[in-house]
Amino acid sequence: MSVNLFKDVAKPIMAGFGITRRRLQQRTSKYKDVTVQYPEQRREQYPRTRWKHALKRYDSGLEKCIGCSLCAGACPARCIYVEAAENTDGERYSAGERYAVRYEINMIRCIFCGYCQDACPTGAIVLEKDFELANYKRESFIYTKEMLLDPMPK
Amino acid sequence: MAAVASEVELVNISINGVALQVPKGELIVESVKRLGLEIPIFCYHPRMKPVGMCRMCLVEVGFPGPDGNIRKMPKPQAGCTLPASEGMAIFTDTEQIHRDRKGVLEFLLVNHPLDCPICDRGGECPLQNNTLFYGPSTSRFLELKRHLPKAFPLSKYVTLDLERCIQCGRCVRFTEEISGDSQLAFRFRGASMQPSTFELTDFESKFSGNVIEICPVGALTNREYRFRARPWDLETKPAICTVCSNGCNIWFDHRAGRMVRTNGRTNEAINEEWTCDRGKFGHEFYNDSNRVKHVMVRNGDALVESDWPTAYDAIRMAFAEGGNRVAALTGPSNSNEDLYLLKKLFQTRFNSNNFDSRWTTYLPTAEDDLQKKMGVSMVQNTIADFESMSKVFIFGSSLADELPILFLRVRKGWFNNGNKVVVASDKPTDADSFAAEVLRYRTGTESTLASGLLALAVEKGLAQVPDATRQSLSKYTAEHVSDETGVSVDALHRAVELVAGAGIITSHGIFNTSQPQDTVETLAGLAMTTNGSFNCYALGANDQGALDMGVVPFGGGMDTHSILQGCIDGTVKALWLVGCDPFELHPDYDLVEKALENVHFLVVMADHQNGAVPFASVLLPETAPAEQDGTFTNMERRVQRMPQVLAAKGSAKPAWRVFSELAIRIQPETPPFGPADCMKEIAESIPSYAVADYANLGGEGVLIR
Ligand code: SF4
Ligand code: SF4
Ligand code: SF4
Ligand code: FES
Repeated sequence: MSVNLFKDVAKPIMAGFGITRRRLQQRTSKYKDVTVQYPEQRREQYPRTRWKHALKRYDSGLEKCIGCSLCAGACPARCIYVEAAENTDGERYSAGERYAVRYEINMIRCIFCGYCQDACPTGAIVLEKDFELANYKRESFIYTKEMLLDPMPK
Repeated sequence: MAAVASEVELVNISINGVALQVPKGELIVESVKRLGLEIPIFCYHPRMKPVGMCRMCLVEVGFPGPDGNIRKMPKPQAGCTLPASEGMAIFTDTEQIHRDRKGVLEFLLVNHPLDCPICDRGGECPLQNNTLFYGPSTSRFLELKRHLPKAFPLSKYVTLDLERCIQCGRCVRFTEEISGDSQLAFRFRGASMQPSTFELTDFESKFSGNVIEICPVGALTNREYRFRARPWDLETKPAICTVCSNGCNIWFDHRAGRMVRTNGRTNEAINEEWTCDRGKFGHEFYNDSNRVKHVMVRNGDALVESDWPTAYDAIRMAFAEGGNRVAALTGPSNSNEDLYLLKKLFQTRFNSNNFDSRWTTYLPTAEDDLQKKMGVSMVQNTIADFESMSKVFIFGSSLADELPILFLRVRKGWFNNGNKVVVASDKPTDADSFAAEVLRYRTGTESTLASGLLALAVEKGLAQVPDATRQSLSKYTAEHVSDETGVSVDALHRAVELVAGAGIITSHGIFNTSQPQDTVETLAGLAMTTNGSFNCYALGANDQGALDMGVVPFGGGMDTHSILQGCIDGTVKALWLVGCDPFELHPDYDLVEKALENVHFLVVMADHQNGAVPFASVLLPETAPAEQDGTFTNMERRVQRMPQVLAAKGSAKPAWRVFSELAIRIQPETPPFGPADCMKEIAESIPSYAVADYANLGGEGVLIR
């Protein structure tokens, strides 16, 4: 089979660059930029994006988490560890009798399936949009309760 | 229930159209199990009398009419109180029954808080399970629920959440029928009915832990386990309780390397499914902060952290002299393998017989051995034997404290079969409540009472004894015995009828009384001459095993007291304490203190810090029972294996491994590579243990005779 140098090689290349030329000319009018200048610029995420968990509080400041470990039971990756303790009148963290003293998620194991959020009876654990989870050490991927808990409402 | 009838009458019934024969009067809730079916239940418990309180077990019942067709009764019946009778047709799977079950559950949930996420029962809750399988999926109840105290501390061990109680009465019945302390009763009526103690005093029972397990909801929960974990967080392994010599089977629940709770594990031969409180709540020491984790060697005034080779070298030097210069004392919960290898180390490497496992005031000598003297064994009955034994004689032991599970069996025999129990004790005991006769003697008159009973039995012709014995008993007239012991003559006369031919229970505690050997021999004689049986049961978890392994100085060594005395005199230079705190075990505190102060070299091998540690020359970390694989022999001489549950703490090693490592350093040989190998060696030198091969040790364990 013989190859026609002009028809089979040069013409498609020129056609291809033609598209590039057209787009460059129409850049600001018809086509928008696809890439953004991360990390200076960030793109809006879909509403149901699931990334790093947050432990929520009620408006009163009480923690929603009651330390029931249902998230740990639901988690297919077995990456949640919950240790509960009893609220006292002097030291109250959550509404009921029980709260979580330790709440840890191993982020390397987590597959961000959101089952923990589904299992939670009080809506305490919610997967939010913080996806910047890279780190240098394995141990740094153990997210403790202090790291996950939302700050006290003002 | 009575198993006496040799011919059990069978009746024909049908369950869901399947015809089968069952013993007449069997409860339908049990009959359906024969077909592999199950009826949901709450209040019914196979070991207690049925009461029909919860109505969860409803079934439809019919009988064949004259035309042969089944005619159903108009209303459903409670399967747990319904005895099988001829022709009965049971239906457990009809539309009607499904609706009834939904209704019953809806009613039970009307006042139920459903706070499952914070309920310790959540995940293993019969109410959750039954609701999931048989109940409605949504609630129609919008009104306010009943509100009652939450987390009321019923006792040191038990929390009561009244809101969750479904009023099944299992706990109340347990204290009436099984433990016998009748601590719980129902107050008030209807929806306000609540189980409670008299005037809300503490729930004082030696068996209160069981109600936590039988409560079908999270109303009664374990105060120590409270909020420690959820069932799905737990790893559960079979284990043996090492708190006393009954050897109860337990489930050992642990999480992230920590013990979190224990529950009863069914072994019909021993604990059925019960535990005592001492056992159930007696495993906290696994998590203690004072566990010994590292090898320590004395340097001047301080113990400094070291390693095993250094410790082995120090011990080798100190024990090099051997013979009567060295000695070892063991504690109650070393495994058979540990004890056997200790004895072997001492005999073959140190050329010494100075080892003892006993801590009572009186230490029987080789000559005292009942087997040699009278041809009878110290242990003749199993725990289960006492259920069917018509006469039981408890002598000098507060059974519920010393051998709680045996106590439950004896009580069960009385409760179910009307067995007659005689209690002789110097103090009030729990068994008094159901005893046919209580002999309350003055402390110190044990042997007089025993002789008096034997003499009386002989006098009444209940016992046949040689003339010489008859002569020696002649001074024990009923009046004389009554004067001495404080037991009335009448009581002696009444008791002797019941004591003759009875199964006699006493414990090694008897060796702490005066003239114990006389007492033991007289009681054994009483049993022998009246066709009864005699038992003097060991008390520490593996005390019986220690006797079987021969950790007694009968080969010409010194016993516990002379070893400690020897430490003071300077004749014993090096002492090895294996898993024992002599301050706790030995009756004479000062003697122990002097001995430990004076002995030149003291090896303390322990799983947690104890009183002897400050005196130690070398401190060796020993694994606790559940942290090593090994076998234990309970008081009825049943050998059971406890596989390793938890990892060893720090650099701790099982004692048997330490003894074997030291032995091969002194003189090389092929060591046992694991506890199973040790058991093979044991079987070779102690033939009765040949049956206790690791391959046979599943299930209920192996009885040694
Ligand atoms: S998102 Fe999924 S994997 Fe991650 S913690 Fe929750 S349940 Fe576990
Ligand atoms: S008792 Fe059972 S059903 Fe009731 S709150 Fe506890 S787990 Fe839930
Ligand atoms: S406390 Fe538990 S066992 Fe007792 S009556 Fe209530 S539900 Fe039954
Ligand atoms: S189980 Fe039959 S009424 Fe409760």
